Amino acid sequence: MDLHQKVLSRIWDVDGSHTLDVARANGHYQSLEKALKMQPAEITEEVTNSGLRGRGGAGFPAGRKWSFIPGPEKRGGKPVYLVCNADESEPGTYKDRFCMWNDPHMLIEGMIIAAYAIDCHVAYIYLRGEFRPVQARVDAAIEEAKAAGLLGKNILGSGFDLEIHTHLGAGAYICGEETALLSSLEGERGQPKLKPPFPAVEGAWRCPTIVNNVETLSAVPYIIEKGAAGYREFGTEQSPGTKLFSCSGHINNPGVYEVPLGITMKDMIEKVCGGLPEGRTLKAVIPGGSSVPVMTAEEAMNANMDYESIQEVGGSYLGSGGFIVMDDTTDMVAALTNLLRFYAHESCGQCTPCREGVGWMYRVLQRLCDGVCTESDLETLLDLANNIHSRTICFFGASAAMPVQSFLAKFRDEFMARIDEAATSLAAPLPVPEGVLDQGAP
Amino acid sequence: MPTVKINGVEVEVPEGTNMIEAAAMVGEEIPHYCYHADLTVAGNCRMCLIDVEEGGRGPDIACNMQARDGLAIRTDTEQVKQMRKSVMEMLLKNHPLDCPICDQSGECRLQDYYMDHGQHDSRLADPKVTKRKRMDIGDHIVLDAERCVACTRCVRFGDEVTGTGELRLFQRTDHTEIGMFPGERLNHEYQGNLADICPVGALTNKDFRFEKRVWYLKEANSVCDGCATGCNISVCYQGSEVFRYMPRRNPDVNASWICDSGRMRYKRHAASTRLLAPRVDGSRSSWPDALAAAVERLAGKKIGVVLGTQATLEENHLARRLAEERLAGAMIFVLEGNDPGAEESSDELLIDADKTMNRCGAELVASMSSATAGGEALKSALAASEIEALVVLRDDALGRLGVEAPPLVVFLGDQANSTSKAANVVLPMASHVEQPGTTINRGGRVQLLTRGPLPVGDALPGVEAIDRMAQLSGGSLGSTEEWAVFESLAQSCSALSGMTYGALGGQGLPLSLASSEQPDPAPAPPAK
Amino acid sequence: MATFPLPPTDQGHGDVSWTEAQSAEIEGMIARYPEKRAAVMPVLWLAQDHFGWLSLDVLRLVAKTLELPPSHVLSVATFYTMFKKQPTGTHLLQVCHTLSCDLAGAEGLITRIQNKLGIKVGETTADGKFTLQRVECLAACGSGPMMQVGTDYYELLKDDTAIDAVLDALASDNPPSLPRPEMDQWTYTRKS
Repeated sequence: MDLHQKVLSRIWDVDGSHTLDVARANGHYQSLEKALKMQPAEITEEVTNSGLRGRGGAGFPAGRKWSFIPGPEKRGGKPVYLVCNADESEPGTYKDRFCMWNDPHMLIEGMIIAAYAIDCHVAYIYLRGEFRPVQARVDAAIEEAKAAGLLGKNILGSGFDLEIHTHLGAGAYICGEETALLSSLEGERGQPKLKPPFPAVEGAWRCPTIVNNVETLSAVPYIIEKGAAGYREFGTEQSPGTKLFSCSGHINNPGVYEVPLGITMKDMIEKVCGGLPEGRTLKAVIPGGSSVPVMTAEEAMNANMDYESIQEVGGSYLGSGGFIVMDDTTDMVAALTNLLRFYAHESCGQCTPCREGVGWMYRVLQRLCDGVCTESDLETLLDLANNIHSRTICFFGASAAMPVQSFLAKFRDEFMARIDEAATSLAAPLPVPEGVLDQGAP
Repeated sequence: MPTVKINGVEVEVPEGTNMIEAAAMVGEEIPHYCYHADLTVAGNCRMCLIDVEEGGRGPDIACNMQARDGLAIRTDTEQVKQMRKSVMEMLLKNHPLDCPICDQSGECRLQDYYMDHGQHDSRLADPKVTKRKRMDIGDHIVLDAERCVACTRCVRFGDEVTGTGELRLFQRTDHTEIGMFPGERLNHEYQGNLADICPVGALTNKDFRFEKRVWYLKEANSVCDGCATGCNISVCYQGSEVFRYMPRRNPDVNASWICDSGRMRYKRHAASTRLLAPRVDGSRSSWPDALAAAVERLAGKKIGVVLGTQATLEENHLARRLAEERLAGAMIFVLEGNDPGAEESSDELLIDADKTMNRCGAELVASMSSATAGGEALKSALAASEIEALVVLRDDALGRLGVEAPPLVVFLGDQANSTSKAANVVLPMASHVEQPGTTINRGGRVQLLTRGPLPVGDALPGVEAIDRMAQLSGGSLGSTEEWAVFESLAQSCSALSGMTYGALGGQGLPLSLASSEQPDPAPAPPAK
Repeated sequence: MATFPLPPTDQGHGDVSWTEAQSAEIEGMIARYPEKRAAVMPVLWLAQDHFGWLSLDVLRLVAKTLELPPSHVLSVATFYTMFKKQPTGTHLLQVCHTLSCDLAGAEGLITRIQNKLGIKVGETTADGKFTLQRVECLAACGSGPMMQVGTDYYELLKDDTAIDAVLDALASDNPPSLPRPEMDQWTYTRKS
């Protein structure tokens, strides 16, 4: 299988790819014309058949999500909203920034088609606060599209209207969680909402709402152009299509790469990412953003880059495709502490286990790093993680717990080494300050 | 109505019932902090996590789980016990260990649930997160942010009930802290409720702080006498001393709230304005002497009996019968308006401009008599000396009418007013919390008051005082047990048909307009 | 962990108001949403751009503008880390120290900045030009170590020469536009 397939990144190399002229010269907005002649239900069906899964991390089938929008007769006059999740906050993930920077029109085209499919007339793009330059570029693209009759009233003479607004976050990881994102969009603290009701039934402003990731929506024009079967030419049966992987860590060529799902992780590391620095060996991989369980080198060498294989072989998840590679120089205790510092900083503070438990896990880990620890701290740590996972309002709890559970399970010896060190240093006699013995000794 | 199963026990519950309420119906208490029956569901404390046996995936929170057919939950599994224990451990992790000096002690859910569900040994080796303490945030409330469990009940109260939104969570993570915008203060009439709904010691009531450990207090169900809304209250007392009024939940009247001025009315119980002893012509007297004086002086006079808009149905009923059956020719009056000095306030929520608690009841009783009239008629009757003597039940009749006292005034009541001051004979009665009785609120709901502390001083229960007048005027009017007086009234009044104290219970019943209509018993309140 | 000082300092902006142009801009922001309160974040951004940071005076203005309780605006402002609740130096250096950047050498970047500017994390230089902060993941994981200064990313700051060049450019009163490698020069898809 060819390691590189360009669906989403097709025109990233072209100069001026972010402008409407270049985008159109490269075939953009032809899918839109085709889509507007289709029935909305046909579009949803095509996307369902393509097997496109949510690229933000959860991997939920996109077409099925759209189909949860209640019909007009059940909405009681409420509007439907489409919200593009461009918060891109998962550590290790930076692909959406590239999508929007290099090809904002692909996203806009995908959003128009999706909005048409779900009967939405006002859509939002929620960008993380640090993406102000990206926002400016997306705003400019929206203006261009509007001026060309591709957005706004009566798009391409179809009678379909759509406005797209960008909305800037201001620094909160949790806003990548779709209900927190909606809270933030509504002008609240970015706190996740209880489910049920799910956003497709009651989302933004209590109206039916679809939240899709940038990459998910950007894939829609291609699916409409080539059909579900065309999209399925890439990837595996259950993980069709291509995926953008944000690669970082101890590799020679960090970057965003678009590959067909299903290539081996070995190829991913050695060929796509250019391998590890000279003289280093692989220790661990976090395959799908910081929240997913860590994989050992052995697991990595046996897994493929698709949803199913990563789960079966590595007990982990493909997640957002934030691919973090760690070599043999990595201190796994420090790496986990680093991640937990992140989660302790980002817990929204809404529900008890996450608010109180994640900070607690971080403090225990800090002590481990500082060598002020005993073996019972490891038990506490694991117990806390188990008591946070699945007991919280949103997935954040699990996101903070899974790294702890997996690091402790797979790299326990490194944690034990810290404890042994601590035990040794505590057992050693304390240094006696100079002069003390002389003064008091008979 | 869906049928759900709780720990194997099937129960049919109303549509929309959540599993905390459903479990309560089968006697199963699911612990919770953030859930409150009269606020929206927040689901943040995670204390109500339960196992879903059938019809869903678990564990999940009971408060956000609506009853549906086929749903079966368990609250008695090892996992549930373990989850509760863990949530308790998390909540207490950064909670200060200040129970000995915390006034929530005894009614604190952290304490209660620790005993029931926690009982863990501390394994905290790291310093606690500290927050701000003892902030004066309003006329009635002190805030201790460190004790807060971030349940957001107070935030939701401000958003959903008063609409003022002063309290908010600030920051995030375990530094999340409840507070107000710097320099702002609570500015509404419902502040006390914040302390009531706070499940821990974060928000406490200034007035009650450090006055009494709650475990010494007894509670009696009663109704606020501050206005015609008739908010349901618990009277908290020890011996003959009342320490506070707390709102008592009644979804048909006041939900779980009372206003601050209503809450502060407990102070009237021991106020210097209480009438403590019978008085004749301004001098302290005894019951036999005062009663004899009243009856002797009334004899042969043209009498007006003013029923009490602040008196119970029972008192009014006996006063009407006294007028009709023992004081021949007496006219019966019910006076409009409020006593002079009553607060002028009203709002959309609970505060009514009518500051009487039983105007509907007084009017209902008066309507059973053919010879009744209002204030204007009484005023002209007094001016024309068609009435020479007044028997006044609790209301400040002279103050309301703005007239000089007639030659004879007999006042029966618990609080001094301009009428009692002008009265020739004063007969002190128990206050509304010291005796049982019933009232009818502005919405036509008949509500029961139960007996709280003993009457102060020489005060007698109202019906007894009236009947003793009757005894001297020709004979007792019958039983002076309030429940019996009420039942005899209910038999002669179609609007109260079939009602008894037992049927009224804690939640009261709406007036039935036709005697054929049997009132539906109100649903039982959820057990707390 | 960045926390808002409660009760806050008495520093503030005094009596503040919007210009006519800003009021018009705010109207436009409000029009994008079905409810007025949704405009709170865009308006806070506007306020921060204009007033430099969000004092209680500014928060009160935002609350009044959007008819919200001031506590709500403060609550929102303290939830998001990019809203500045305190003044900072002209250039706010925000160095990412999350895992990918850490593996790439974020601590080296922080050390170099501290040494060169003579300040510690959380401090501002005496001339008020630089404030140094550690921040969590900025979504530039492939080009660490990196930092955000104002709205700009400076990436691949692997050695002292690269770091010094950025700091020197920022220190000069008229900073030249620096190459921002990841966005403009790198197109990863070319490497295959």
